[in-house]
Amino acid sequence: MSGPRTATAASKPRGRGGLLPVALVTPAVVLLLLFTIAPAVYAIFLSFRRMKVGKGLLGGGKPTEVWTGLSNYTATLSDSEFWASLGRMLLIAAFGVPLTVILSTLFALCLDAKRARLVGFARLAIFLPYAVPGVVASLLWGFMYLPATSPIGGDVVDYFGTKGIFFSVANVAVWGVVGFNMVILYTAVRSLPKELFEAAELDGATEFQIAVRVKLPMIAPAVAMVALFSVIGSLQLFNEPTTLKPLANAISSTWVPLMRVYTDAFVNNSIYEGAATSFVLIAMTVAATVLVSAVGRRIARRSTR
Amino acid sequence: MNLRRSAALGAVLVLALAACSGNDDKASPSGAGSSAAKGEKVTLTYVNWDGGMDKVVDEWNKLNPDIQVKLSKPSGTGYTLYNKLITNNKAGTNPDITEVEYQALPALIANQVVVPIDDYVKGLDAKYDKASLSQVQFEGKTYGVPQNVCPMVFFYRKDVFDKLGLKAPATWAEYATVAAAIHKADPKKFIGNFTAADPGWFAGLAQQAGANWWKADGDTWSVAINDAASKKVADYWDDLIKKGLVSPQPNWSAQWNTDMNNGTIVGWVGAQWGPNQLPSIAKDTAGKWAAAPLPAWTAGDTAVGIWGGETEAVTANSKHPAEAAKFVEWMNSSDAGMDSLIKNVQAFPASPQGQQLPALKTPPPFMSTQPDYNTLMATAAKGVRTFDIWGPNANVTFDSYSNAFGAALQKKTSLSAALDTMQEATVSDMKKLGFQVAG
Repeated sequence: MSGPRTATAASKPRGRGGLLPVALVTPAVVLLLLFTIAPAVYAIFLSFRRMKVGKGLLGGGKPTEVWTGLSNYTATLSDSEFWASLGRMLLIAAFGVPLTVILSTLFALCLDAKRARLVGFARLAIFLPYAVPGVVASLLWGFMYLPATSPIGGDVVDYFGTKGIFFSVANVAVWGVVGFNMVILYTAVRSLPKELFEAAELDGATEFQIAVRVKLPMIAPAVAMVALFSVIGSLQLFNEPTTLKPLANAISSTWVPLMRVYTDAFVNNSIYEGAATSFVLIAMTVAATVLVSAVGRRIARRSTR
Repeated sequence: MNLRRSAALGAVLVLALAACSGNDDKASPSGAGSSAAKGEKVTLTYVNWDGGMDKVVDEWNKLNPDIQVKLSKPSGTGYTLYNKLITNNKAGTNPDITEVEYQALPALIANQVVVPIDDYVKGLDAKYDKASLSQVQFEGKTYGVPQNVCPMVFFYRKDVFDKLGLKAPATWAEYATVAAAIHKADPKKFIGNFTAADPGWFAGLAQQAGANWWKADGDTWSVAINDAASKKVADYWDDLIKKGLVSPQPNWSAQWNTDMNNGTIVGWVGAQWGPNQLPSIAKDTAGKWAAAPLPAWTAGDTAVGIWGGETEAVTANSKHPAEAAKFVEWMNSSDAGMDSLIKNVQAFPASPQGQQLPALKTPPPFMSTQPDYNTLMATAAKGVRTFDIWGPNANVTFDSYSNAFGAALQKKTSLSAALDTMQEATVSDMKKLGFQVAG
């Protein structure tokens, strides 16, 4: 959607191809090339390579890097543990994402309700967990889960159980992001024209009806964006399980795909397989992003119709 | 010597794989390379994570104004450090000297991170026994001076055992009986735990039972992680876990620390360095613990495995390998160096001569009620049994241990099947790297 051209931009005709625009974008482009594109290209290169030791018991001689074709990719894709880790991630996403979207929408609408009191305090309280770093949040919750230190019944409920662990990890993740998403949605609600609500009120709509029938459809694009963020966020799940790992036996070093990338690259010392797995994941993330944003756009279009 | 792994807390740079690896065609200085000219002052960098090491280095620096050593702590211990060394080796930025746990040395050699020191350090064969030398000598070359030997021992809460009229178990059969007695007296209490977080711990127990995970025949490896001896150990613990007599909590977790501190867990199958760690695990229990020989499979058998132990090695990136080797030799095999290690790092020297040092007459502070602590260690050290050699990819084996045993404990499936998973992971990785593996 291109906005109307502003008067200032059109008023003064400028020579085409001046040096100024080029000079202005150069730093950004150089940084992008240097720190995003170049490492990415190198990582793609690495994903087709592998280490080969020389002859002799301990390799006798410098290990060499050799081309290996697609074998790093096939190794990842044919490994059942990779799909299992993907499954675990999706399971967490399956209740983490809806929960994030529902809670943040609920909070935003409640805060905007006419009868809401202590809005400033509530908003800050809900937002605050977002300011807590993921690692700290995970440790904090980890200690709350452990039977020895749990104030929330860890000796009765097995938070690190085979099924419980999914809830435990999702809970930390959701707790951390709800506040941020709530702020986005709250801002969206606040920017809606007030006359609409007054009109609805005059027509006899209750507070609940206004929230569900008027506000919610109008912030649908923002909700779709929040959903998109949450999906991407859940694909990047790493901090929470990594921090909780040493606390119990429930989490392996390849528990979610990103942990596998880390383990391949920095524990098993094969940056090559780590790079290949990364690219498989990037492909999946891009696909998921396209899918979710397409769905989101449809919802948005329907709501503005 | 400290096996404790701080969790990968700062580990967030996942996709930045490429950014940190440099040129690999840059020739690294060879081991026989340039040493400093006479009279020139040399500064060496040394990376080590043991508490108290700074005092040892200070003593060296006082004695050697021309060869100054600068100590730094690595950002992560264990394999976090070793993998960093392997990566940085290509960029040529490694410190001159590094701490290496025995099981990781073959991997560093295979990646040419460390160099032989035979040209600089002579006469080690006369100073050390075979078991210690086999940890640092490969294919006829010496890659380090062994610092310490860490025989496994059994720590127990003497006060609790005395109250129940129990004695430290001499055999594993007795360990099971005592475990049952403790659990019966108070169902909340355990004699110990089975830790999926410490592959070196299980390896040590397997060594005692006669396992030999890696063997070398010429240039060919044989790998036997799921051999009968290892399975015997796994099945033994499996039984105790299924009966609920030992806790499945991993070592170093907040849960385990709390349980050790409040007397829920009253025993620990540990190693010589235990008293160095116990103050931070169970600070309220100082003076209540006693150490006893590790339970044996058959009464009277003195064989024990090792858990941990380290050597210092000189890196391929070092521009002063001769001076670096001199420091390593002083620290790990001279009386002054070993004396300082005993006092400051509570190390138990690998050198038989060092095991006679008067400093060992004093027990570590945490074991003040057991004056003969180090005599016990010296006796245990005589029975040390290790694998022939550590594999060149023990990192993969170790990671696989934590995953497979963690999953088995979590899902309550067979522990010995987890050994098959480890075997499979290790062999396939070795083959992929290009090592020759028999079978």
